[in-house]
Amino acid sequence: MSEMIATGELIERLLRGEFICRTTFEDGWRALKSPATLDKVESYLNQINRTVAQAAEGEVFFAGYVNLGDNERKVISQQFREICHSLIPLVEWLVLVQEASGQDAPLSQGAPVRLTELQTRIEDTPAFREQLAKLSQYRLFGSSASTVDGQIKLVFKRLVELGYLIKPNPEKQIFIATGKLDYLYEVIRFIDETESLSLEAQAETASQRELI
Amino acid sequence: MSNNLHQSGVKLLRLLGRNAELVMDAYLSGSVDEQALEPSTVTKLTESGILWRPEPNESLRLSRNVRAMLEDGLKDERNRQINANVGSALATIKTVAGHYREARASVDYSAAEAYLADLSEQVYSFTESLRYSIRVLWGRINNEFGYVGSLNAKIRENELAQSQVSELLNGLEMFEFAELSELAGDVRELRKLLVTGLQETLTNCAQELSVVQGRLLELLGRFRQIQGRTRLLKGWLLYTDLHPDYEVADHVAHKQIPQLFNQAEALLAPAAVDVHNAQHETELMQLVAGIRSISREQQQTPLSAPTPVEVSAAEEFDIPDNPLKQAVEAYFCAVIESGQNQSALDYLSTQALPWDRESWLFQVIGGFEGLSDEHKQFFAIEPLGVSHDIYTGNFIIQDVEVGLR
Repeated sequence: MSEMIATGELIERLLRGEFICRTTFEDGWRALKSPATLDKVESYLNQINRTVAQAAEGEVFFAGYVNLGDNERKVISQQFREICHSLIPLVEWLVLVQEASGQDAPLSQGAPVRLTELQTRIEDTPAFREQLAKLSQYRLFGSSASTVDGQIKLVFKRLVELGYLIKPNPEKQIFIATGKLDYLYEVIRFIDETESLSLEAQAETASQRELI
Repeated sequence: MSNNLHQSGVKLLRLLGRNAELVMDAYLSGSVDEQALEPSTVTKLTESGILWRPEPNESLRLSRNVRAMLEDGLKDERNRQINANVGSALATIKTVAGHYREARASVDYSAAEAYLADLSEQVYSFTESLRYSIRVLWGRINNEFGYVGSLNAKIRENELAQSQVSELLNGLEMFEFAELSELAGDVRELRKLLVTGLQETLTNCAQELSVVQGRLLELLGRFRQIQGRTRLLKGWLLYTDLHPDYEVADHVAHKQIPQLFNQAEALLAPAAVDVHNAQHETELMQLVAGIRSISREQQQTPLSAPTPVEVSAAEEFDIPDNPLKQAVEAYFCAVIESGQNQSALDYLSTQALPWDRESWLFQVIGGFEGLSDEHKQFFAIEPLGVSHDIYTGNFIIQDVEVGLR
């Protein structure tokens, strides 16, 4: 019975355009990992020209199309444009969070962000304040606030709406990164590889130059 | 000789114990502040080899052996020394084994015994150090090189550990059991020590080391992945900064769309009722009116078969009066009849009633209070008793007296 409810919710969430990962919906994610449930969901979705797509080595699942007609292509290219436009703001935000919290690793699925801590660090450092002000004005976030508090709250709210973060406890200012971020890395990596931008090598030489 | 050794060993350990604070300070800070010490202590510690001076103008440090003992005893994870020098251990073992065989051949049993003890010590300390090295490696893997901060440092530590593992594995390869078994010949003790025991340990260790090697590689892969992501992000920003006109190519224009971008449109949009919109009021009311509570559990229980309801006259019944209550009523009647005040307890004893004195008193008081106001005014009730001798305000009723007003 509980499995049925999980599958029902799972299909619903897939059709809502959500990314299913361990952080957002662990039961559903596990269910998709088992071939039996995956088959069931897949055959259900196939009836309405949908399929279960996965990315980031099976860390995230989402609904894709089986057959691509003109309409579907239109939707896909619209979504692709959207994601391309959001790449720069999102990457700037990721780098800001990583640098402000002094971590080696950029945010990835399951990593917590404590908003109040982050806010204090950004408020205390002029360079971070500038970066935040710049990135909060991108159309993706669309903030016109002049204070760090207003900017950062809006940015986080938007990121929750876009599905990159979840806020498990509405009372607490703690956010958790979702698998959609892992998807984002994969998108960047895909662009990097297909367009041979060699981003990693560039960053490496740049950081070595800094060391010298 | 051995007595001497025992004594000086105890002396050395006592010296360590006496200077425990100093030794631990030196262990943690790396060197000793000579200014704060008495010269005689310094001389003693240096002479016994606990402290040493690496260079003439350098400060004193803990000697390697003491350090190693502490690292091992404290399970200190910063310790990354691994003794991969299998070659010299092997050579020592072979040499001592040679001594033992010679002593046996020349029937010098006391010497042979001493050599055998020495050999066992060598073999056991070798296997122990091997196991210890593996333990240290596991410790470093399990906390993911938590003792260094940055990712780059972790990667370097990982590489160091990998080189140590391969050195250990190379060392283990030097053991040729055919050679050892030839050396042991048909001497039972030697065979047990060199062939059976050592072989088993070494096989186990080699197996474990290959697991360690696998885990290290896995960990390195993860570190590199994290590092790769950071670089990817930085590289992206760098690239878009350098090429402001850069536009991502249209990767979905091809006939084959990469699976990554094949993302279907949301079919179910998130929706919520706006209860504050007055225009929707009638619709909402209709919706609410249409809600039926469906309870499957109720449906499942079958209704009981109808039975005709019979209306008949109720049977007569009466409630027997409480005998205690009746006795109290009799008591009140006795008061009326005699027209004199009567103590309740006296009545109880003269009538030889079976009730407990206390419940009798309670029932009398209760019976009086239970009378209707009309009847109550004919009677007066007077509690007889004493005040408590310690706690003022407490009046202990011992008897009551009922009389007519």
